[in-house]
Amino acid sequence: MSVQTDTLPAGFEDLVPLLAHWARQTENLRSDIRWKASAEDFKALYEAVLPRLPDILGALEACPLEGMSAAEENLFNLAAAFAEAAPHHELYGGSADVPFSFAAHRFRPGHGDLPSNARILR
Amino acid sequence: MNDLAGAALRPGAEAFTHLGRSIEDIRSELGVGAVSIDTIRDPAVYELEREKVFRKTWLKVATEWEIPEKGDYKVKEMPVVDTSLLIVRGKDGKVRAFHNVCTHRGNKVVPTQDFETFGKARANVLSCRFHGWVFNTDGPLRAVPLEGGFGSLDKACLGLKEVACDIWEGFIFVNFADRPEQTLAEYLGDFGKLFGGFPYSEATTAFRYSTVLDCNWKVALYAFSEGYHVPTIHAGSLPGFTGIEHADFKLVGPHASSTIYGGGMEAAASTAQFASVLHADAEHGPRPELVPPGINPRGRSDFQFELPNIFPNFLIHLAAGCGYPGMAYFTHQFWPLDHGRTLWEGINYFRPARNAAERVAQIHVNALHRNAWLEDTGTMEDTFVGIRSGAIDAMHLMDQEFMIRHAASTLDRYLTKGEEQ
Repeated sequence: MSVQTDTLPAGFEDLVPLLAHWARQTENLRSDIRWKASAEDFKALYEAVLPRLPDILGALEACPLEGMSAAEENLFNLAAAFAEAAPHHELYGGSADVPFSFAAHRFRPGHGDLPSNARILR
Repeated sequence: MNDLAGAALRPGAEAFTHLGRSIEDIRSELGVGAVSIDTIRDPAVYELEREKVFRKTWLKVATEWEIPEKGDYKVKEMPVVDTSLLIVRGKDGKVRAFHNVCTHRGNKVVPTQDFETFGKARANVLSCRFHGWVFNTDGPLRAVPLEGGFGSLDKACLGLKEVACDIWEGFIFVNFADRPEQTLAEYLGDFGKLFGGFPYSEATTAFRYSTVLDCNWKVALYAFSEGYHVPTIHAGSLPGFTGIEHADFKLVGPHASSTIYGGGMEAAASTAQFASVLHADAEHGPRPELVPPGINPRGRSDFQFELPNIFPNFLIHLAAGCGYPGMAYFTHQFWPLDHGRTLWEGINYFRPARNAAERVAQIHVNALHRNAWLEDTGTMEDTFVGIRSGAIDAMHLMDQEFMIRHAASTLDRYLTKGEEQ
């Protein structure tokens, strides 16, 4: 599932460089990236996105789940990546693993290959 | 007697006070001695469990919202009872369960690739791919190719083999006994009333996870049946969880329940922002008024979630947005694959997001909880190795682990049922 990497809604242009690495449509694709990320990768994402999170959430609040423009969908996918990656910076010391836990790749998400903006997840 | 005596209760809560147990009650009724781990360790016990528990009790196998439309079906592989189960909504709208077995020669009517398979029956019929026998979604055999070649074939007797099926609050249960000893309502008893009335079916956004664990199913069940482990196992994913209290113990026939109260988490910066999206919303925010009155009967403001154990293998953790932000409830199930292998299924349920911000916030909350589950499941295979080693013969259980003690006692009762005669 490719992602159009060069567009974000107006006002979020500073986050465009993060799209190519992080923004993916599904949980499985994002997990593949997160499991390989370094502490530096998490830190860079975190420090770039956290200050913009109120604006990002404000913009996404105006977006229906389905029918987003490509730029809006990129913003959603980046926000989803941040939503899942933030604990690794805030809680896990930059580790790609959850410390002292089961191997994450052995968990199988039933929704893992669905676009995360699918209206129905069940 | 329990610790609700004399307390001001929410309207309707008094009907459930007989379920409540104080710590003294729990110790008196269930004992305080060590509990043998033979039932976990001994493969012969597993064979008894298959016969006397999983073929006799009501088992939750699906939800109505998984198969909302006529013709929708779910197939669940159930090695514990040696079958593939088809749960299907017929053209009359009724949900039925059948062995997913063609009555011609035994092939699966619906082919499967995994433990669970979802689909839709076209024109409300299901056709076996082997020789094309066609069954209506309500069971009868409808058509047989080259029927004249059989000489004699009584199609009326060759419908799909039905399994007893009933629904409680949208959760679909089956019972594999030819004649179940109790109806589902009788089996759930007071539990069905205690947890009844919550709008489970409105929280249809499901983040579902599964994994196969190299452990006996009860090791996994027991690990999720107590709150004692939270400050240690979850020190990574739930730091700053303040004032956790595991209380309001309840014994409900073969089932049990209890409540997690607490001051909540000192949320990380990102969590605080995501949570604000959900907490500020009337639908996703905390809805303590929706929690049935027998749960959190005093209406405590620090209610987090209710933690039950529905015998034999189902948990519904009811939160109504009061615990993890926006999460209505989450469920666990533990399906034995054999004595030492278990399919664990965990599902986080939220009300549907109405915009992309709400969904992203749900993704964050789901990730936090999934990570906590990774911490939980991290203990299970190690525990089973330890149990099998022979180094210990018993579990030493504290008060907050009473549901393990109760489940073990209930299991013993089922395993010895009939032996006294």
